[in-house]
Amino acid sequence: MHATIQKEMDVILTYLQPDEKIYVVGCGNCAEKCKSGGPEETEEMAQRLEKKGVNVIGYSSTPSGVGLCSLPMCRKMMIEENLDENNAADSFLVLACGQGIHTVIDATDGGEVHPGCDTIFGGETEQPGIVKEYCSLCGECVTAYTAGLCPMTLCSKMLLNGPCGGAKDGKCEVDKEKDCGWHLIYVRLKDAGKLHLLEAYYDPKNFAKWSRPRSLVVKGTEATFKSLAGEHTVSRED
Amino acid sequence: MSSLKEKLNNGSFVLTGEIGPPKGTDIEKHLEKAELIKDKVVAVNVTDLQSAILRAGSLATCHLLQQRGIEPVYQLTCRDRNRLALQSDLLSAWILGIKNVLCLTGDHTSLGDHPEAKPVFDFDSVHLLKASSILNSGKDLTGHDLDGSPNFFQGAVVSPGADPIEPQIIKMKKKVAAGAKFFQTQAVFDVEQFGEFVNKVNGLQVPIIAGIVILKSAGMASYMNEKVAGINVPDGLIKEMKNTEKSDIKKKAVEIAARLTRQVKPFCQGVHLMTLGWEELIPDIIEQAEIS
Repeated sequence: MHATIQKEMDVILTYLQPDEKIYVVGCGNCAEKCKSGGPEETEEMAQRLEKKGVNVIGYSSTPSGVGLCSLPMCRKMMIEENLDENNAADSFLVLACGQGIHTVIDATDGGEVHPGCDTIFGGETEQPGIVKEYCSLCGECVTAYTAGLCPMTLCSKMLLNGPCGGAKDGKCEVDKEKDCGWHLIYVRLKDAGKLHLLEAYYDPKNFAKWSRPRSLVVKGTEATFKSLAGEHTVSRED
Repeated sequence: MSSLKEKLNNGSFVLTGEIGPPKGTDIEKHLEKAELIKDKVVAVNVTDLQSAILRAGSLATCHLLQQRGIEPVYQLTCRDRNRLALQSDLLSAWILGIKNVLCLTGDHTSLGDHPEAKPVFDFDSVHLLKASSILNSGKDLTGHDLDGSPNFFQGAVVSPGADPIEPQIIKMKKKVAAGAKFFQTQAVFDVEQFGEFVNKVNGLQVPIIAGIVILKSAGMASYMNEKVAGINVPDGLIKEMKNTEKSDIKKKAVEIAARLTRQVKPFCQGVHLMTLGWEELIPDIIEQAEIS
């Protein structure tokens, strides 16, 4: 999921002009799980803005479980269900991740948007309300060699060939509360009897696969990932 | 040819020193520190934005040492440069006559005085060593021919006091395979632990230069124990510092550094003295350590 956190009201207000007609848009998937922009928080934001004197002309969120970042779903909500209000709006305050913000631009044929949240990372929901980052969306997963733990994410220095000399008591040099990613990898590999994987040399990362923006096109059983590293097509048929 | 390489190859016990470039442009006093030890050490390391604190560059400082007839060890970290810049700086270093390079990961940007900087880490230290080896072979990392190539004597670092030590040793082996020709260690205070470490890595057949950091106070020792990874100053040494009068502290610092040097000597091929501004004490340390 894309973890998001709401921006402070004082910050949001700096984006809005006096008398600007605002429509608040939320996301029923990740932003709902983060309590930053689900149906409840979207309604709440509309009320909070009104109390600050903002001209809120409407609000809506994709239903619970449905991501705003699906353009067909976003379009359905913005165009089919709330067309008049959306046409009347000067701009949209989006309570979702950056993908959701862009989906609103697409769904409204280039409408003006304001971010209501900061998109902070892609994460695992360990329990409701607790989200942690285990993947950096780098474009080429190396965890086959690292016991399922991503060194690009769990190691502060994104090292690929083992720990630096900065870890103390299994904790990282940047923060003594943070586990050293390579210590975790070492322990898991050792426990699994697979320390030989740590002994192997791993080439530098291909950062062209981490170029932005990237795209994915799925057709039938084929998927094509496009980045500055080129087009990479994989078939599900063996 | 690198004198450091020559001495290590012919089995001499080597001594190296270290200076840090200035925070600013007044470099003369830093060079004078190196001048003080010029005839006592085979080479002088120049740190590369140590602790991620902005300073003048290692490369320029190494060049100035070179001009004064002092052999530098160019410390190069992966924190601030991508693979293009790392290779380019290596080529530049060789053009300037620098023969030794120490390849490090680098302290994280968040620890320094520009914590909002983008940490690069395009390479890790193993990649950097490998890149240096490839440049030495006349190619760049993507296989293109070089028009003139370096022949660096490249070293790496290891932390003998790391706990657990096994992943450090695994990485050390990878560094050797990537072309590390010598190792400098994190500061050694626990000689027994250092000896055990050396026994574990003897088979690698790569010279190890033990890091000796001068103890300036008991407080510094406690601070390092608490904050610095891989450093274990035994209580006995801390007590010794505590029981020393302020006026005798430099004398005691020399005594401890010399004693540690004597104690680690049987286990290693040299000592890297990190005197943290007290470079003037190096001649006394060497004399008391009875190393010629």
